[in-house]
Amino acid sequence: MHSHGDWTSVEGIATSLLDGNPIAIAVTLFIAFGLPVLLHLIFYQTVASPPSSNFLLLGPSGAGKTALLTLLETKSSHLARKDSRLTHTSQTSTVATISLPASVPTASNRYRSVNDTSLKDVSKNPVKYRLRDTPGHGKLRGSQGLATLLSMSASKDVKSKLRGVLFMADTAALSEAEALRDTASYLYDVLLILQKRALRKGKSSMKAASEIPVLVMANKQDLFTALPPGSVHEKLEAEIDRIRKSRSKGLMDASVDTGAHEDEDDILGSTDARVKFTFASLEDEIGVTVDVVGGAVISDEEGNLGAGVKKWEEWIGQCL
Amino acid sequence: MLEAFEILTTSGVVLWSKSYAPVGAHIVNSLINDVFIEEKVQFQAANNAAPSLKKEKYTLKWKRVKEFDLIFVAVYQSLLQLGWIDKLLDNISTLYIDLYKDQLKSSRARITQYPFDKYFDQQVRELEDNSGPISSEAFVAHAVDKKDPLVSSDNGGPPPPPVPGLLKAQHQAALAGATSDESTPPHTPDTSRSSTPVAGHIITAKGGPGGRVSRRARKAANASANVSSGDENTRKGKTPKNAKKMRKWDADGFADEDDGRILDYSAPVDGEEAAVPAVEAVSQDSWGHRTGKGQFVLKDLGDEVHSILENAESDKAKDAPSTGFVGSGFNAIGGLLRNIVGGKTLTEADLEKPLKTMEDHLLKKNVAREAAVRLCEGVQRELVGKKTGNFQSVDAALRSAMESSLRKILTPTSSLDLLREIDAVTAPTSKQQTPRPYVISIVGVNGVGKSTNLGKICYFLLQNKYRVLIAACDTFRSGAVEQLRVHARNLKELSSRENAGEVELYEKGYGKDAANVAKDAVEYGAANKFDVVLIDTAGRRHNDQRLMSSLEKFAKFAQPDKIFMVGEALVGTDSVMQARNFNQAFGTGRNLDGFIISKCDTVGDMVGTLVSMVHATGIPIVFLGVGQHYGDLRGLSVPWAVNLLMK
Repeated sequence: MHSHGDWTSVEGIATSLLDGNPIAIAVTLFIAFGLPVLLHLIFYQTVASPPSSNFLLLGPSGAGKTALLTLLETKSSHLARKDSRLTHTSQTSTVATISLPASVPTASNRYRSVNDTSLKDVSKNPVKYRLRDTPGHGKLRGSQGLATLLSMSASKDVKSKLRGVLFMADTAALSEAEALRDTASYLYDVLLILQKRALRKGKSSMKAASEIPVLVMANKQDLFTALPPGSVHEKLEAEIDRIRKSRSKGLMDASVDTGAHEDEDDILGSTDARVKFTFASLEDEIGVTVDVVGGAVISDEEGNLGAGVKKWEEWIGQCL
Repeated sequence: MLEAFEILTTSGVVLWSKSYAPVGAHIVNSLINDVFIEEKVQFQAANNAAPSLKKEKYTLKWKRVKEFDLIFVAVYQSLLQLGWIDKLLDNISTLYIDLYKDQLKSSRARITQYPFDKYFDQQVRELEDNSGPISSEAFVAHAVDKKDPLVSSDNGGPPPPPVPGLLKAQHQAALAGATSDESTPPHTPDTSRSSTPVAGHIITAKGGPGGRVSRRARKAANASANVSSGDENTRKGKTPKNAKKMRKWDADGFADEDDGRILDYSAPVDGEEAAVPAVEAVSQDSWGHRTGKGQFVLKDLGDEVHSILENAESDKAKDAPSTGFVGSGFNAIGGLLRNIVGGKTLTEADLEKPLKTMEDHLLKKNVAREAAVRLCEGVQRELVGKKTGNFQSVDAALRSAMESSLRKILTPTSSLDLLREIDAVTAPTSKQQTPRPYVISIVGVNGVGKSTNLGKICYFLLQNKYRVLIAACDTFRSGAVEQLRVHARNLKELSSRENAGEVELYEKGYGKDAANVAKDAVEYGAANKFDVVLIDTAGRRHNDQRLMSSLEKFAKFAQPDKIFMVGEALVGTDSVMQARNFNQAFGTGRNLDGFIISKCDTVGDMVGTLVSMVHATGIPIVFLGVGQHYGDLRGLSVPWAVNLLMK
């Protein structure tokens, strides 16, 4: 009677709620647990999910990584300013969401008909990707650049999927042996990580379709002393070959003794040291493609911001 | 004069910059490299002064704002002594962050345009103007800051102040009116007293039998002031009227004893508010000065700038005292919760205890005290003002910060590929260079294992089919040459068995000058087409000036490509001084190229010497000796070392 509640008067409702009957408990529990979930759904569904294609920007210090990032960011925003920003040595990595210019075709458009109306919508709704800039200083390379590459290439999460690695090189400095050695050894480390990843994948018999391609951006082509991309290609291959030989003969790490020894070979390319290393052979063996494309972050052409990065954007478009 | 001022993010983008003269980008880059990344230069935190670095002909001062990951850098010629740069850095950082708080937090912070020039110019002009008189410029600038908001608030806030010229005229008229009935109206003290706080003057008003008289006089003065201009009241706003009246009465020269009493009471007030008397004078000065030049817009901007600075100041003041009993209770509970949940902004007090524990831990790992203390200080600088991550305790935050700091120290700036470098010298790719032997010399304190490690390196090189010449330049200790002869014989035997490279010993007996022997050895090596010359030297105490001085000559004669210093892992606090003294022993322009840490197998996980030595000099570790055999030479693995240290 009373316990079965008359739901007409206020006191009645209060009584039956405080009575400890199952309905009241159920309602309370529902509110208590349901509300946070509901709020979460409301607030987090409305936020647009970030684009799922990631690119990683690597390269030695002073090559122009941060400059490229800011240039692309400026280009993809609709702000009026068209001057290039000054940059200094980075200490931390940054992520920026960048939209691909409408004029650059994406790889997925290959499957569309020429008359597909959605092709025209691209200018309204450009393809977006995320670019992660890393510091290139020797002390920060391992802890930030390579560590990010490791974690991003290993992650199974779709959101942080790595579509490509952009490796930037200063072509004006590459004629010096010291800079060449530095650049090549960084590229060697990057390729070694990708090779390990490919081989591990092969062992666990997963589909080896999605290898991460590498673009070597031969930057600073606007300078008089810059080497042409073809020459950069050759020089890097030759230098990596030399590094490969000396690493194969080098000393073991101190960590070897502690039993953390993996009998994976730590040498890039074929195990036979007599075979000369080329990027093409790397593609044949493990499927990692390496392209060398020239360009310039700072271009001479007035009023046409980022004309020098057009080719790189096309390459990025081919990965999307 | 200031050369350049830059505001940049830690990710390397310059958000705003202003340069008065072209300053190469490498100047600021070197600041970032030397100070922030490689931590070559150590700074002891001076009280409030911004740290500075001299580079070429410039001096750089900077300020870091961790919350926004910003660095403010001021560059000026070292010849000039600019005392106001510290103040400028402080003011600019406060202003910039206040103005662009929202933009900086948004994702497009890097590409937004920041129209900051006018604010900056205003600050520079103001600080430059104020630094004219020798009386500490910080104080004057402060006084201006204090006064101006008052004026702006009187003017009714948002709308810009009316033409200052007019205002000033009114102001002076009011003053004249107020003091008209007085015999000698001394202007400056009058105005200065106007802004002293009420409290002191209430006391003076009560004081003595003259109180009644004073009240009457006050009334009269009040009336005259009101008559002369009503504007006076609004202009002075909340500034205590009795203060002014009191002063006027005082100036009237009524009763002498009263006068004395008033001065008695006002004296401590003056002492307390030492800054105040200057306030009005300075602000009026600069005001008039500006009006004279007709820079009304500037004045407007100045108000805005000052109100921002003032707000920041008052916020800081508000933060300082604890907010009541209940408030502090809540804070305490919240702080406890945040210890567990994370999202806590770290303060020095939070870090004090964990840092002490961390320091003890490092000391237990045989890190030298000096290095441990500085490491902890560095981590503290890094962490104070930072927020801990989600569900991250203070300890965990500290731990990860220390780990990354250790990793940063131990990671070499450029890769150390000895074989690759030997190849570059002995078989150069370009035609211009002629092949020559690669010269490595080994130095160190007595008994650390120089000869043993030389043997190990030699074995490693022989494995790679090099022709190695060992030069016995320890011409001092008896038996040293014989010891090397044994090594050479063993290695010859081993290499012929394994079909590896060739080795030869170059010896000239005892008592000769080591530098000359080394020089001869290198020449002999070049003539006989050796790939590598390994030079063994006599052990020497690092604090013996006589023995160390001969190293400079040695470096000049032998011209080694690499000088490695052997240090034992067993050594404790002394490691710092050893590394430093040996590093400086080769004269200017020549440093050590690397360390070989021997006897690593004897210390277990107490590998602190690695950190001490690298931390003292910034020179990387090339090899580790881990046993008694020729093959027991290893490269350094940074994750391995960091793991051992943090275990």
